[in-house]
Amino acid sequence: MSVATVISDWSAPNQERARTLLEAYPERRSAAMPLLYLASLEHGHLTPAAMAQVAELTGLTSAQVQSVASFYTMYKRDHVGRYLISVCTSISCFLMGADDVLEAIEEETGTPDGTTSSDGTFSVEHVECIGACGGAPAVQVNYELVEGVAPERGATLCRWLRESSPEVVVTDEMQKYFGGVRSFDWGITETVGAIAPVPAFGPYGSTGEESA
Amino acid sequence: MPEQPPPEMVTISLDGQEIEVPQGEYIIKAAEDQGTYIPRFCYHSRMKPVGLCRMCLVEVETPRGRILTTACNTPVAPEMIVDTESAVVQKAQEGILEFLLINHPLDCPVCDKGGECPLQDQTVAYGPGESRFVEEKRHFEKPIPLSDIVLMDRERCILCARCTRFSEEVSGDPLIEFVGRGNQTHVITFPDEPFASYFSGNTVQICPVGALTAKPYRFKARPWDLEAIESVSMVDASGASISIETSQNEVVRINGVDNDATNHGWLSDKDRFVFQAIHSENRLATPLIRDDAGDLQPASWGDALDRVADALGSVRGDEVASIGGANNTNEEAFALGKFLRTVVVTPHIDAQVGDALNPEFLAGVTPRAEIGDLDGAATILVWAGDLKEEFPTLFLRVRHAVTQMGAKLIVVHPRRTGLDNIAAEKITYRPGEGPEVVRKLTAQGDQDYGAVRDLLTAGPVIALVGLTGRAEDPRLAEAVAAYALGLPGSKVLPLARRANVFGALDMGLAPTLLPGRVPVKSESGRAELESHWGPLPGEAGLDTAGIIAGLAAGDLKALLLVGADPVRDGRNPDAVRAALDAAEFVVSLDMFLNDSNQQASVILPVDGFAETEGTVTNIEGRVQKVNRILPGPGQSRALWSILDELSSRMGGQLGAGDGPAIAKEIALVAPAYRSMTWDRLEWGPERDGVVMPDRDGVQELRFVPDDSGLRPTAGRLALHSGRVLYDGGTRNTQSPALAGLTPDPAVYLHPRDASALALADGQEVDVAGEFGTVRLRLELDPSLAEGSAYVPANLDSTWVLGVPDVVTVEAQSSKGKKNEKKKGKKKGAGE
Amino acid sequence: MTSFPMILTERMTAHPADSHLLDRYEATGGYETLRQALLSMKPEEIVEQVKAANIQGRGGAAFPAGIKWGFLAPIEPRYLVINGDESEPGTFKDRQLLERDPHQLIEGVVLTSFAIGANHAFIYIRGEYPKPARRVQQAVEAAYAKGYLGQNILGSGFDLDVMVHLGGGAYICGEETALLNSLEGLRGEPRLKPPFPAVEGLYAKPTIVNNVETISNIPWIVANGGDAYAAIGDVDSVGTRLFSLSGHVKKPGNVEVPMGLTWRELIYDIGGGIRDDNELKAWVPGGASAPWFVAEHLDTKVTKDDCAKAGSMLGSGAVIVMDETTNVVAAAHRIVKFFSHESCGQCTPCREGTTWLERILWRLLNRAGRPSDIDLLLDVCDGISPGLAWPPRMTTICPLGPSAVSPITSIMTHFREEVESMIPGLQEVASA
Ligand SMILES: Cc1cc2nc3c(=O)[nH]c(=O)nc-3n(C[C@H](O)[C@H](O)[C@H](O)COP(=O)(O)O)c2cc1C
Ligand code: SF4
Ligand code: FES
Repeated sequence: MSVATVISDWSAPNQERARTLLEAYPERRSAAMPLLYLASLEHGHLTPAAMAQVAELTGLTSAQVQSVASFYTMYKRDHVGRYLISVCTSISCFLMGADDVLEAIEEETGTPDGTTSSDGTFSVEHVECIGACGGAPAVQVNYELVEGVAPERGATLCRWLRESSPEVVVTDEMQKYFGGVRSFDWGITETVGAIAPVPAFGPYGSTGEESA
Repeated sequence: MPEQPPPEMVTISLDGQEIEVPQGEYIIKAAEDQGTYIPRFCYHSRMKPVGLCRMCLVEVETPRGRILTTACNTPVAPEMIVDTESAVVQKAQEGILEFLLINHPLDCPVCDKGGECPLQDQTVAYGPGESRFVEEKRHFEKPIPLSDIVLMDRERCILCARCTRFSEEVSGDPLIEFVGRGNQTHVITFPDEPFASYFSGNTVQICPVGALTAKPYRFKARPWDLEAIESVSMVDASGASISIETSQNEVVRINGVDNDATNHGWLSDKDRFVFQAIHSENRLATPLIRDDAGDLQPASWGDALDRVADALGSVRGDEVASIGGANNTNEEAFALGKFLRTVVVTPHIDAQVGDALNPEFLAGVTPRAEIGDLDGAATILVWAGDLKEEFPTLFLRVRHAVTQMGAKLIVVHPRRTGLDNIAAEKITYRPGEGPEVVRKLTAQGDQDYGAVRDLLTAGPVIALVGLTGRAEDPRLAEAVAAYALGLPGSKVLPLARRANVFGALDMGLAPTLLPGRVPVKSESGRAELESHWGPLPGEAGLDTAGIIAGLAAGDLKALLLVGADPVRDGRNPDAVRAALDAAEFVVSLDMFLNDSNQQASVILPVDGFAETEGTVTNIEGRVQKVNRILPGPGQSRALWSILDELSSRMGGQLGAGDGPAIAKEIALVAPAYRSMTWDRLEWGPERDGVVMPDRDGVQELRFVPDDSGLRPTAGRLALHSGRVLYDGGTRNTQSPALAGLTPDPAVYLHPRDASALALADGQEVDVAGEFGTVRLRLELDPSLAEGSAYVPANLDSTWVLGVPDVVTVEAQSSKGKKNEKKKGKKKGAGE
Repeated sequence: MTSFPMILTERMTAHPADSHLLDRYEATGGYETLRQALLSMKPEEIVEQVKAANIQGRGGAAFPAGIKWGFLAPIEPRYLVINGDESEPGTFKDRQLLERDPHQLIEGVVLTSFAIGANHAFIYIRGEYPKPARRVQQAVEAAYAKGYLGQNILGSGFDLDVMVHLGGGAYICGEETALLNSLEGLRGEPRLKPPFPAVEGLYAKPTIVNNVETISNIPWIVANGGDAYAAIGDVDSVGTRLFSLSGHVKKPGNVEVPMGLTWRELIYDIGGGIRDDNELKAWVPGGASAPWFVAEHLDTKVTKDDCAKAGSMLGSGAVIVMDETTNVVAAAHRIVKFFSHESCGQCTPCREGTTWLERILWRLLNRAGRPSDIDLLLDVCDGISPGLAWPPRMTTICPLGPSAVSPITSIMTHFREEVESMIPGLQEVASA
């Protein structure tokens, strides 16, 4: 079956991205991971139909794709809220009070760890180390990072997300208003960010202007 | 056995003992061959090691000190020092077992595996006393069906990945996989995509715990109640080794037995579960005689045999014919042939029914390949039916040769086959145009098939040659073989599907062959046999098609049907039925009623699979022992004893009092089988079977095919009548586990043909041919050659079509439909 | 501390605003080394320089990079894979290198690929690092545009394609063979070794896997010579290293320092000491996998050998500091929980053992421990890492399982009384 038939329900640019990804790797199967992100973006999360499409594209069976996807924590096979709040509770953040941050965020969003709010705005999860230990405690919103998030800042961040419901979640913007100590000097401000709970990277998910 | 250079040997120290082992062998295997069993769960000798259960840890001395390593994936090296019993090793193994048990439900008393469970056994042998795990165990929903046959209890699973590796590595249909990771990992299918693999039962067999269970066996028996015997599967002619396990006189399970020469231990689900048919309530258990009112009535053996003896005695010998015998043992086939040739005195004998290849070709093509030769092949050419459907265990061997041993595969077939995804080259042709493909392959400088011809310059080439479909001209296979035999280092493996068809031909159940691969036309061969049997007809007899015609014309008067159903298997079902009607007398020796023997005058119940002892011969010419583990139902009897008694009633002397006696006579009169004894096959190195020809130089028949001069014959919609594994045949339909797996009947057209005919996917259409019309659902199949129609053979409705060369497919043919109905009615009334 | 060149962080320190952009990179001498090397050096000469530099891999195992490159099987094609999966708790140094100086890495990638004969390189970045990945992707595109990547680089005849690949959220993909599986579109399960990647790696072809920091050093080494690099730092552990300081230090963050300081210098002089001037209780010297150090180790030198002798390792360069207020059982539990969550699940001891350890520690934390739990903890650890020695023996395929043992042996060695005091039965005995 041709690529076009398999993903005819995808947006035109994403069909093009899928085609590019399939050609980019020395072996088609290697495109599975990026395609899983792209499929998640198209279907809202990684539905069985999305996995079956990736299987068709990469020449795997659906069972194999499911096996691969379920190995990784960032492919969400259940419905995810508009804003995925990932609170690091690994050792460095733990030492700096991450459990309190998680609690504050759960409370503010009314969304217990590992669940999605009924209005679909938030999903809250605790995660293992996200590489921001120098700026502990750290939080990600749709994988965009905020460092130095004390509990009350975490709560304010969630309130802001709910109230101004930004189309694009931008790490530098969030850091400016809700962040604290950083792991290192971030340099100039960027305006690129995530449009969905899928990492905002070139072939999928990212939007906004690249920094000059 | 195909020759292999002897492996280089190295000396290692195993637990202080110096031993010689083949270089490169994994420690676990080298140790086992020397009698030291290293415990294991994930290791399986027929799959690549993955080293993940960690049970097989041993200590090995290295320049960097003693290291703990897994024996299953560490190859031996010269001077290696291995310790399998050190304190560290023992502690580690105890640890692994404890780890495996902490989340294991320990429901051994209700587990199918209880009593034959490596986890249970090794816990007793190597495990810690009691569990120190006080927390709650991991929970999963109790057994969930993965398919119609296999269930999965994830709480029992120890994640050895044997099942998932089997499906990916061996059978090539990875429909079950690990899901999740770490402690959440479990094995499951994709939602709504069941584990619909022809080979799913193997995963149940190799699961080292009771996580995977098969519905037909669940709760049926406990291992200590089982009685087991080794035998050979009769599903196809590849000769897969099996063990048949019974409990209270009922077969409850069949497992694959690892035979290096044939199946490597694997089976198809049909091999595994078809035993259910022998316990079907529809089994014939008493002789039946048709009474004056035309109804079948139970009768005593005496009355029934008298009736048969009278009928056969009242016509000339050569007015009697026999069809069938390919599902019987060699001994039974031999007794049948001798009965027909010496007691009845007729040459009209054919074991092949609808899909006959030249018996001299099948029995005598030279040089003939062995299955094991596939592993050493550079190139494999498969020009035959879809092996996955017709020869499932042979299909796995071809897969093995291609995916593990590096052979390049060429498949030639009218549509997609199960091997296509691993084939280097595929040729798809329209049925009937095979000769054109052969011509193009042969012709120097022809532009087509360049890549295929390039591959075929690398030998050794092993060619698997058979009929691609029932509509194919049987002489095509000979032309293909003739072509293949000209390729470098080539050998041919001729394929005919039915269980013991090669044995039957070797025993002389063919119009042109005498026992032991002696052509009837061979004066010296015949004279030799006559020295034992007395004078024999010197002319070749009629084959099945000739017999049907002879009955219809009245030249033949009486017919024996031996486990045969020529109506279903015939080219023209109506004509066969009419011929049977025209016969004065038909006796059927069978396990079931079928479309052909419904109208027989006498029906005699015979013992079948697992109920008879003897030998069988597979496609390679490998003779293997089959064994009896239980009696047939009711009054059913072994074929040879029926024939023996019949002979005496007819005033003859068959001398077929028991199996061993017949086996001795085979060895005496059949040149190719001269050195064969049951003893040889039962013990020692020849338990895996013995390939007869070329061994003692006594093979008589050497058939070298030549180009048959066939010309392409296809019409506009050439029919491809291919076999499917789960067909509408008696054995399938009488096995509950398999009956539901029969695919829905359909006709398949290339999308361009369908659109030319203005037909849409899924539409009901009438398929009409020379012999009948059938209404089927249309499926689009771009893998077909254009201008052809694929109709799976022998499904519940499709067999009515027979095997015309060409068919028409149209949306509605009210005329055809009405005709068909009327015809059916009339026939029904006439019967 | 003697003076030393800032090999990795000079540009980003001097030009915080735009050190990631090509213009700045070129303006500060970037890609000059590449131009020189491609025109005047043979691949073997680069390998020789890297061997002479004696740079140990910065991903955790500290294997000398030059020697690893020498193991490459003579088979084509070959691949270079950059390990940017950085997921070891406490580690965030690669993130800074990716985000702040991607061209330095890319120049290293081209030099390395040229040296080892690879025409295809992959930069595998963990999925949780979209911003670093964007920066690298942007830099890759800029480098292509300027002819530093692609066909016939700088007229040298050497071709190289570079792809940035984002992970899916799995720490184990930092293990190099798991990473390769992941890159092939498979589950990120470590492979059995041998064969090592240099012989059979990506798509079963010879492959070099190196850490982001390791390769970011290559331009400097090629420019200044291996000997100059080897002259920095200590005798055996040479060069500078980026350490990630976190936890209860006053000045968390990444610091580039020459090898061979003492831990006291690193934690107190550079890290500013302990927060609120509390007492130091313990620190993790090299990422969550490393056994902990305590005050008695403060004057141990920060080198591979000295740390090994003291029973731990420099690992990923993550220094996690715990002050006197830390509940060590809670800290150990948090680390063990990490490994249990990140176990790929292939190996019985790792899959079952790490979870079991986590649950026993959880009981201890909730005052539901039993006196026998002390022995049980150690025995379960022994089942994963027989003998509990350092470096660990393993019953597993990869070192992740044994990593979970480190925090437990650490608290048992240094804080046994504190652990026992959390177990009701033992508490009474202790207080009686
Ligand atoms: C469990 C585990 C996790 C690892 N994680 C990383 C990692 O995140 N980044 C990394 O560079 N190396 C990691 N490594 C080390 C790699 O396997 C490999 O040694 C390294 O990437 C080689 O690069 P180097 O020689 O430049 O250090 C990890 C190893 C193990 C066993
Ligand atoms: S030790 Fe753990 S992470 Fe490593 S391979 Fe084994 S199960 Fe996977
Ligand atoms: S048998 Fe060796 S690890 Fe499982």
